[in-house]
Amino acid sequence: MKLTIAWLHPDLMSTYGDRGNIICIEKRCQWRGIAATVMPVTLETHLSALSTSDLIFMGGAQDRQQKLAGPDFLKNKGPVVKKMVEKGIPALFVCAAYQFVGHYYKPYQGDPIPGVGIFDLYTEHPGDQAKRLIGNVVAELISHQLSAISYQQKTIVGFENHGGRTYLNTNSKSQTSTTKPFAKVIKGFGNNGEDGYEGAVYKNAIGSYFHGPLLPKNPHLADWLIQKALEVKYNTNVHFRSLDDSIENKAHGFIVKKYGSQKIDTFRN
Amino acid sequence: MGILRLASLAQDGTTASFTGVIIIFGKLISLLSTFLHLGSGATWPGEVALRLSPTMLSSLASHLKKGVILIAGTNGKTTTALMIKTILENSRQSVVHNASGANLENGIVSALIQKSDADWGVFEVDENALPSVMSSLSSRVRSDGEAISHQHEIASSKTPRNDNKKKLIIVLLNLFRDQLDRYGEVDVIAQKWEKALRSTKAMIIANADDPLVAHLGLHTKRSVTYFGINDRTKFLAGMEHATDSTFCLHCGARLAYEGIYFSHLGIWKCPKCGQKRPKPDISEAKSPLPGLYNLYNALAAKAVAKTLDIQADLAGFHPAFGRQEEIGNVKIFLSKNPTGFNQSLRTVLDLGAKQLLLVLNDRIPDGRDVSWIWDVDFEMIPRTVSVRVSGDRVYDLALRLKYAGVKSSIFEHLEDALNTSELLYVLPTYSAMLEVRKILMGRKIL
Repeated sequence: MKLTIAWLHPDLMSTYGDRGNIICIEKRCQWRGIAATVMPVTLETHLSALSTSDLIFMGGAQDRQQKLAGPDFLKNKGPVVKKMVEKGIPALFVCAAYQFVGHYYKPYQGDPIPGVGIFDLYTEHPGDQAKRLIGNVVAELISHQLSAISYQQKTIVGFENHGGRTYLNTNSKSQTSTTKPFAKVIKGFGNNGEDGYEGAVYKNAIGSYFHGPLLPKNPHLADWLIQKALEVKYNTNVHFRSLDDSIENKAHGFIVKKYGSQKIDTFRN
Repeated sequence: MGILRLASLAQDGTTASFTGVIIIFGKLISLLSTFLHLGSGATWPGEVALRLSPTMLSSLASHLKKGVILIAGTNGKTTTALMIKTILENSRQSVVHNASGANLENGIVSALIQKSDADWGVFEVDENALPSVMSSLSSRVRSDGEAISHQHEIASSKTPRNDNKKKLIIVLLNLFRDQLDRYGEVDVIAQKWEKALRSTKAMIIANADDPLVAHLGLHTKRSVTYFGINDRTKFLAGMEHATDSTFCLHCGARLAYEGIYFSHLGIWKCPKCGQKRPKPDISEAKSPLPGLYNLYNALAAKAVAKTLDIQADLAGFHPAFGRQEEIGNVKIFLSKNPTGFNQSLRTVLDLGAKQLLLVLNDRIPDGRDVSWIWDVDFEMIPRTVSVRVSGDRVYDLALRLKYAGVKSSIFEHLEDALNTSELLYVLPTYSAMLEVRKILMGRKIL
């Protein structure tokens, strides 16, 4: 089996360890004998190449880089990615990319910047006096799709650093919206610091404010993405062997222990 | 009580006597702080002095006979400042310097309280503090780059009256991503610098090879002395992942590189608008320390020497604390961000290191966010090198190394990790570096 992982704008949308997600997916495929190829998708990459990929990742950006990548993503890559996500191709959008795939981002001053609208959500910046939401985060997964697979870990851990506040299910038809919150915050801020939710799930796509290397300390998410990618590509159920995740679990457990003081149950298989 | 009394004295007395009193008061605080083991007094006296008199920096700096040199940039501030200090002292000029690395305004004022009658003030400055320090210092500088003396502020007969032309020199080394949760984005810092440079009358020394720093130089009206490396044998085979400024600052197009030395430093030009790396005025120097990053530091120091028309003599240079410092069988290479870590790794591997200790902390001076370790190219460590890991976030580091294909031994206690009789190269983050020194030397700093 083989997978092609599209890494959107590795030179612009990669700010603080975002590469960790790509390394993690690549290695965990290799360790299972799945041939993984990483395809950097830059401003110059042709769209036909992008549409042949099996898994999509897009990371965070600093303002100037975001302004360079933004128009290209909105006009060219974004619509292709949207079609792919609709078909069930798994994707991970982190930080600035998470904001990009909503309806719009409204800065403190100026007009809203449209997003690609893959997820039913929008983001607002509450003003230059509002504090940035920065710190270690622990959250508990609530997505039904994710819980369908049995995992040891019920929690996700990471670090967030964002000014924008993201709100899900913005239409009055929210009952019917298929964009669901991804996790419930145990420690930290999450989407907006108000409603207690973190991230979003739509079909097999995940959006998250856990920036940078989300997957290495949350290998269950990495495996879920790989599994979905294989299932969609080969149209069959995939059961692959578990790996020795002792170091992953120690790094994960350290954050849960230090910041997520609430008692957390593990999934019962 | 004492502070209140001083404040009322300030209202009654003249500015001159007030400054003098604060200096004495500051020295007392510094002594007290050392006596009570509250640290070496690197920031306290300055902080108190600034509370009493917000213009303290310019008052104190006016006592310096020749002027002030500020060094700013993500990496290399401490070493470059020390090189400049060495060069000046070798040409028989006295220097006051914030050697402890306290590089906010309060640290600079503290250093000046200790010794304000030197020829030069050589100060490393925090990236975000540079604009405010510049505006505090350059408030009375003439358009020809010469600062006007503030002699009237002190009535002491010791103040020299024959030299009223003082220089302000600003050295801009580089800008890399560093502790995003603390410093903010690289471009935001660059914008602040650009604004500060617009109104300054200082002489500017800038790195031609860093497109972001060179862009600042190209857009100031001041004359700029550039330094850069012209040695094409030092080019990397390909671009590293940890780069920040590979798109034109002027028009936004992707920059074309003839070659890259590390990160986004190299010989660059914009194929679209034509903006390109300025020709360096200084491109050759002998660095007393190994590593390409130290060559840049030496070039910057030499550029200062050229500006002052003195010899760039680095004889007697000793590395600053934690910067290639040797303590017994341990060599410490401070490594606090992706570019710095990549450079440290390359340097120790070039030196033939067989045993490494990597230490990752996540305290305030390190940045709370350790995500950046995924931008470091640990993949370059050969299998023949034995690697130990330690620090607050030892498991994050062990995890990163696992995915780089590097086996590591985990030490939850730093003391144990340092326990070896073989030559050990230690690459720690900032607070980890202080801890390593404390364990090895039995005391805190300096």
